[in-house]
Amino acid sequence: MGDSFPVEDLVPAESLATLDTAGQAELLMGVPTLNHGRSIGQVLESVAAGLAKYFPTRKTTLLVADAGSQDRTLEVVRTWREAGPHVPVVRDLRLTGSPQRGRALLAILMAARRLEVRACGFIDANLTSVAPAWIYQLLQPVVEGEADYVSPVYTRTISEGTLTTNLAAPMTRALYGRQIREVMGGCAGVSAKLAAQYLQSHIWGNDLEAYGIELGLTTEALASGAKLTETHLGRKIVVASPGEPDLATMLARVTGSLFSLMERYHAAWEESGGSSPLPETEEAVPLLPEAGEARVQRMVRAFRLGLKDLLPVWEQIMPEETLANLYPLGVLAVDEFRFPSPLWARVVCDFAVAFHERRLPREHLLRALTPLYLGRVAAFLLEAHAASPSRFCWRKLGEPSRKKRTPSGLDGGRQCKEHGPTSWCLRSKRLYTVWAR
Amino acid sequence: MSSFQEVVHRLGAVTPRLLAMLTLVMAGWIAALIARRVVARLLTAAGLDARCARWGLTPTLARVGIPPSPTALVSRLIFWLLLLVAVLMGVEALNLPSTAALMALVLGYLPNLIVAALVMVAAWVLANFLSQAALIGAVNAQVAGAPLVAWAVRWLVLVFGGAAALTQLGIAREMVLLAFGIAFGGSVLALALAFGMGGKEVAREILESRLRKHDEGEDPMARP
Repeated sequence: MGDSFPVEDLVPAESLATLDTAGQAELLMGVPTLNHGRSIGQVLESVAAGLAKYFPTRKTTLLVADAGSQDRTLEVVRTWREAGPHVPVVRDLRLTGSPQRGRALLAILMAARRLEVRACGFIDANLTSVAPAWIYQLLQPVVEGEADYVSPVYTRTISEGTLTTNLAAPMTRALYGRQIREVMGGCAGVSAKLAAQYLQSHIWGNDLEAYGIELGLTTEALASGAKLTETHLGRKIVVASPGEPDLATMLARVTGSLFSLMERYHAAWEESGGSSPLPETEEAVPLLPEAGEARVQRMVRAFRLGLKDLLPVWEQIMPEETLANLYPLGVLAVDEFRFPSPLWARVVCDFAVAFHERRLPREHLLRALTPLYLGRVAAFLLEAHAASPSRFCWRKLGEPSRKKRTPSGLDGGRQCKEHGPTSWCLRSKRLYTVWAR
Repeated sequence: MSSFQEVVHRLGAVTPRLLAMLTLVMAGWIAALIARRVVARLLTAAGLDARCARWGLTPTLARVGIPPSPTALVSRLIFWLLLLVAVLMGVEALNLPSTAALMALVLGYLPNLIVAALVMVAAWVLANFLSQAALIGAVNAQVAGAPLVAWAVRWLVLVFGGAAALTQLGIAREMVLLAFGIAFGGSVLALALAFGMGGKEVAREILESRLRKHDEGEDPMARP
């Protein structure tokens, strides 16, 4: 995307005029909304309290960017504004066009540019565990110039956020060489420089805008070498919105976004040569234990069913070498079930290669990953239940080695038999070696 | 002597036509060979094989015993089509009384053949796409017997495509329509009966699971 991308077209002219009337601001907190009538009031209250308490002397703005809610979201926002919030300026933008959360985020970044803010941030409107202190934690590192992007870290139970803990985060870490723990955290702090860079980047105007925009923002920050930091915010509690997708659809969206970003940022991850931790306040964040035996049984059953019935599809995606490692897992009893992290890394990388080569219709390919993902999560939960909860923390989750990566050493100058030395097959081999090491 | 002269005279009359026919067939054969190569190169450059593999056409062709790649298949079809046209032109060059009628018949039928072939190819691609989608969807919904669902979807589309192709060819049109109607209606009725009688427990399980899911809210596993 270049300068010519009509960001301002997202917002009606009268809303833009309202935005401009109050002039510049130093800090902006944006709340993207899309049918979040149940939770928006609580989130606005916390964000406004945070801005008023921690940044009383600065000119702040709280912006609600609505992507086209059909529920009572706008009514709640209006009522809340009329009740007199704690922040000096509160604005809301009603976007035109298709109802997508990514467009609301884009509008927040656009507003940050127009208001010439020093730092901005966003918080999902369904994130009800947001506390006023979060605003300080997200914005202060940017205000002080210590970071361009502040990423959240949450305390979670073992079964929460498994898409992040088992797929999105380890893969992003392996690709871009930074040990980030949340890649779709639902909130972040962003510097003015990075916000302007986002508006120039090529993550807008496509399927990413609809589903994977937050992943895109994190990836752009990682790939561009922006200064990143993490901040531990505590528990993440979200309120389900109506019409949220099922697991297979959500998995397809997240994986599709990951793979699309791999294609877009191939230059960054091909040359990425290290794995470094991000600065943060706490080293290890333990996962909270919970019981989930019945769920594990269901997941193992789903994996076995996939192994029995989806094999003809998997054969078009994964090489025999990977499949041969999957067959023995189908006969393991539930309490002995294992799906080792290196094998999972190999499976995901094989899917990435097949996605890139368009071996199947992409939607089919992404959805065919579901039973494998459930198998991996079942193994992860069993492993976590068996381990001491305090020892089973974020650092144990498929973390790539901190050692300097040496791509040439991993490949040894080998050639892929079918595609030559610079093929995705070979790159993916390198990737899963790094991931699984 | 007169009969010899008559044979010579007839041969003299036929030989140029025979030579014309042979020339036309030879020229057609050479043109077909060239066209086959050109088409093969063009299709290779367009990546037809990879696309067909992605659409599931290549494995389907292999399953029904058609081994060559789609590129080879299409180029061979072009070759034989051109050769057929050349032979027909050659036959017409003989200028025999029956050849004109034969030519008109064959050439009149050719568009129907091409349309029917296209209908079958489209049905094949659609059948593969839909059956694969059904298989993946059924496995993800943890439905036992997902391959059976996929098989049923595939054959439903193929039978529909086959009926459309036969109708296009004008082969026993009424019989095809009747047979298709009976087979389709019968299948739907059989499936409905089978599901109602044998699968009521499954139906109850699916409905209960859906309602339970609705009551419990969204799946936390689906939350990033």
